[in-house]
Amino acid sequence: MKASDTWSADELLTRARAGESSAFAALVRRYQRAVYSIALRMLNDRHRAEDLAQEVFLQLHRALDGIESDTHLAFWLRKVAMNRAIDRMRQESRHGAEPLTEAEAAVDETAEDDPLLKRRIEELLAQLPPAARAVVVLRYQEDLDPLDIASTLDMPINTVKSHLKRSLTQLRARVQGTAIVEDIR
Amino acid sequence: MSKDFEQQLRDALRPVEPEDGFEQRVMARITSEQTRARSKVTRWVSVALAASVVFAAILGTHEWQVRREQEGLEARKQLIEALRLTGEKLDVAYQAVNREPQPPPDNESGA
Repeated sequence: MKASDTWSADELLTRARAGESSAFAALVRRYQRAVYSIALRMLNDRHRAEDLAQEVFLQLHRALDGIESDTHLAFWLRKVAMNRAIDRMRQESRHGAEPLTEAEAAVDETAEDDPLLKRRIEELLAQLPPAARAVVVLRYQEDLDPLDIASTLDMPINTVKSHLKRSLTQLRARVQGTAIVEDIR
Repeated sequence: MSKDFEQQLRDALRPVEPEDGFEQRVMARITSEQTRARSKVTRWVSVALAASVVFAAILGTHEWQVRREQEGLEARKQLIEALRLTGEKLDVAYQAVNREPQPPPDNESGA
C-alpha cells in the first residue's frame, strides 16, 4: 500500500490537478475496479473492457479541472464509462453478440457462488439491449437507486423503472427456464 | 423468489479487478499522450515559424518592390522636371539668339 492510498479522494484530486502524477495514479487504483467492471459487464470482453477503462481514465486526466469532489468524480466516471460502452456497443452491434468466454474467466468466484448460474446470468445480460443492460449493471453491480441511474444515463426515471422491471422479468424467466431444463436432465 | 433472484444478480455482477498493472498501463498511456501532444505542439510551432519566415520574405519583397517603384517614379518625375527646365532654358537661349537686333539708340533726336 502506498502513502497516497491513505489520502482522501478530495486530497488526491487537488494534488492530481496540481500535476502530481502519483496522486492521479492513486485515483486510478481507487476507481479502476468500478470503471473496469462497468466496461466488462457492458462489453463482455476483457481486452476491450481494459481498453475502454484506460480511455476513461485518460479522459479523466484531461478533465480533472472540471471535477469538483469525490462524489462528482464517482458519478463522472460511471457516466463516462457507460456512455463510452454504449457508444462502442452500438458501433459494433452489426458484428453480432460478443464472445463470453473471456468475461467468464474474469469473474471472481468464491466457494458459495454458483459459477454456472453466474455464467448464465452474464450470458443473458449480454443479450439485453445496451440501455437495458446499462440500467441492470448500474442497479445490481454499482448498487445505484433508480434516480441515480436516471441521472447517470440521462434517462427519464420512468424509463429506468420500466427497463428494470422488464429486464428482471426476462432474466428471471430465462434463468428459471434454464434451471428447469437442467433439473429435467 | 424475487429477492433471491435480485441477490443472485448482485452476486453475479460483483465488481472485478482488472489485470495486474492496470494503473501502470494507464500512466504509460498518459505519458505517451503527453509526449504526442508536446510533439504536436512543436510541429505546429515549427510550421508557424516557417510560415512566418515565408510571410516575412514575401512582405519584404513586396515592400522592396513598392519602394523601387516609388524611387522609379520619383526619378521619372525628376527627369521630367529636369527636361522641362532644360527645355525652358533652351527656349530662352533660342529666343536670345534669334531676337532681331535693336537699332542703336538715337542720341541726336529731339536736339
